[in-house]
Amino acid sequence: MGRLFNPRFGTSPISLGIPIVVFIFLVFAAPHFTSGENLSNLISQIVVLLIGSLGQLVVALVGGIDLSIGSLVSLTSCVISTQQSLATAIPLCIGLAILVGTANGVGTAVFGVHPLIMTFSMATFLQGVAYFILPAPSNAIPAGLQSLANITVGGAPIAIVWCVAAVGTTYVLLRRSQLGLHIYAIGASAANAHLNGLRVVPSTIAAYVFCSLSAVCAGLFLSARVASADPTMGGSLALDSITAIALGNVQLTGGIGGVLGAVTGALTLGLLANGMNLMGISPFVRSAFTGVLLLVAISLQKRKVIGL
Amino acid sequence: MTALAKSRETNPIVSAGRWIVGLPPAYPLLVLLFGIAYFTHPHLLSPLFLMLMLRQAAPLGLATIGQSLVIRCRSIDLSSAGVMAVTSYILTSGTIPVSPLAAIALCIVVGLAIGFINGVIITVRKASAVIVTLAMSIILTGAVIAFSQFRAPGDVPEILRNVVTSRIGGVPVAALLWLFVLFPLHYIDRVTVFGRYVRAVGSNPLAAEMSGIPHARIVLVAHTVSGLFSVLSCFFLLGFVGVGTVNIGQDLALNSLSASILGGINFGMGKGGMWGPAAAAFMLTFLFNFLTSFGLGEPGKLMLQGLIVIVAAIAYSKRQT
Repeated sequence: MGRLFNPRFGTSPISLGIPIVVFIFLVFAAPHFTSGENLSNLISQIVVLLIGSLGQLVVALVGGIDLSIGSLVSLTSCVISTQQSLATAIPLCIGLAILVGTANGVGTAVFGVHPLIMTFSMATFLQGVAYFILPAPSNAIPAGLQSLANITVGGAPIAIVWCVAAVGTTYVLLRRSQLGLHIYAIGASAANAHLNGLRVVPSTIAAYVFCSLSAVCAGLFLSARVASADPTMGGSLALDSITAIALGNVQLTGGIGGVLGAVTGALTLGLLANGMNLMGISPFVRSAFTGVLLLVAISLQKRKVIGL
Repeated sequence: MTALAKSRETNPIVSAGRWIVGLPPAYPLLVLLFGIAYFTHPHLLSPLFLMLMLRQAAPLGLATIGQSLVIRCRSIDLSSAGVMAVTSYILTSGTIPVSPLAAIALCIVVGLAIGFINGVIITVRKASAVIVTLAMSIILTGAVIAFSQFRAPGDVPEILRNVVTSRIGGVPVAALLWLFVLFPLHYIDRVTVFGRYVRAVGSNPLAAEMSGIPHARIVLVAHTVSGLFSVLSCFFLLGFVGVGTVNIGQDLALNSLSASILGGINFGMGKGGMWGPAAAAFMLTFLFNFLTSFGLGEPGKLMLQGLIVIVAAIAYSKRQT
């Protein structure tokens, strides 16, 4: 238990309890919530948010924030729509992610631009590129892309494989690799990390690249799931992923948070969206309710500093 | 060594150069934009057009005042979209049967209240300002849309439309109001104890706290003021549009953030005044119009806008270190 509630990972009884309470509530309140079809549907709905939140988590751990992931998801879908086959589309998207992540990381770590400004400008820029490549939604996607999201593996929807892979990769990065340790150290205090001989700039850039890569993965999955490309597809993902990690008690000041927080946060948002949809509640009421929940959760998990 | 230092001090060209380099990036960018416009689109520099632009910049300028104050206290306010939705609802939905003036007063009170609640949660519960104000925006926008879903938006009160769209001697009243707000604020910022406290809290919150400066209270006041300016900014936007809309001012929160940074304000540096962000708000408005006049279309506009803000922020941040 002590290990679970280690303050470094930010996991608190509240952040763990919220999705459980929401789940139990929905089991009784929402019709057909526990049907197998709905549960597998729920997982495919959560994948994109979960992958985005895991990327956002890594950036938040170095004390950053990435507002550009929504636009990057949109851009990914636009880029793959220009390609004929997956063999060229996927490497192109990965190259794009590395480019965007490096630019974000260099801007914040080398030039000291505030991450909100850097990544918001990047989001504006990428949105422009997305509209430039693909002015209107199209369903010209490479053959075989749909199988990335719609097949079943051993009876389970492939969405589960994506979730497990994303959570596993992030867990290994943060808890089993040197880079993960460095990311926590930099987030706790970049100056101290530097004095202790850690290479702050490359590690920060790596965190942003990881976030961009996860955005591209989310974009691939989303394009495959809806079987079309859309320059506005990413839309609210940046803010949703920040909401998710905040629900998981990941601190935006850096150094505190863990995979479990991102998972519980994304799960909470996904459960709310799915359950309230089943209950026939308007999406606007849902978003207001999500806001209230976020405000309550964040108020109950007190920090030491005032401000950002 | 001393000779070098002395020559630096006395050489007027060098000191002028240093002064220019130390200016917020909004000023050189504005000069650069004017320069390019002079050669490519001279009609953009006609007094008539500049006045229009000044009017158009007023809402962003007002929102930037609040945002820059909050940023200087090392906090941030992303709630303006929500405040705008509420203001629009109160003024135009007709569900609150009061006279236009009372509705306007009510909006101001609500704006102050929202800012105050943001401030209380941020200072008392010590929650992250990004999350609190974002959540506030989500709650307000969601609630307002849910309430007004089945009702067509009404007209903006005539008095508001008339005030913000009228002109005095060719100068738009909106622009005049904006500038008249800036003068007393500049005075408050430079001379009063509150202005000094904001600087102290922004430069080093811990040192400010230890020196007995009411750190939390300053942040609280800054957020309350920011809520007020979001409402004022919305008055202008609604006055220009004429009818109620909940989608108004969606990008205002982040644009006012860009304007603050380009205006020489930054997180964790007590620096910056009122005129830099104001110039930046005008510069951004001019830039949006300028890019439109090139016939770039939406994609090119977005790309250039993003690039320019990145480059300006990088150029400015590099100089600080």
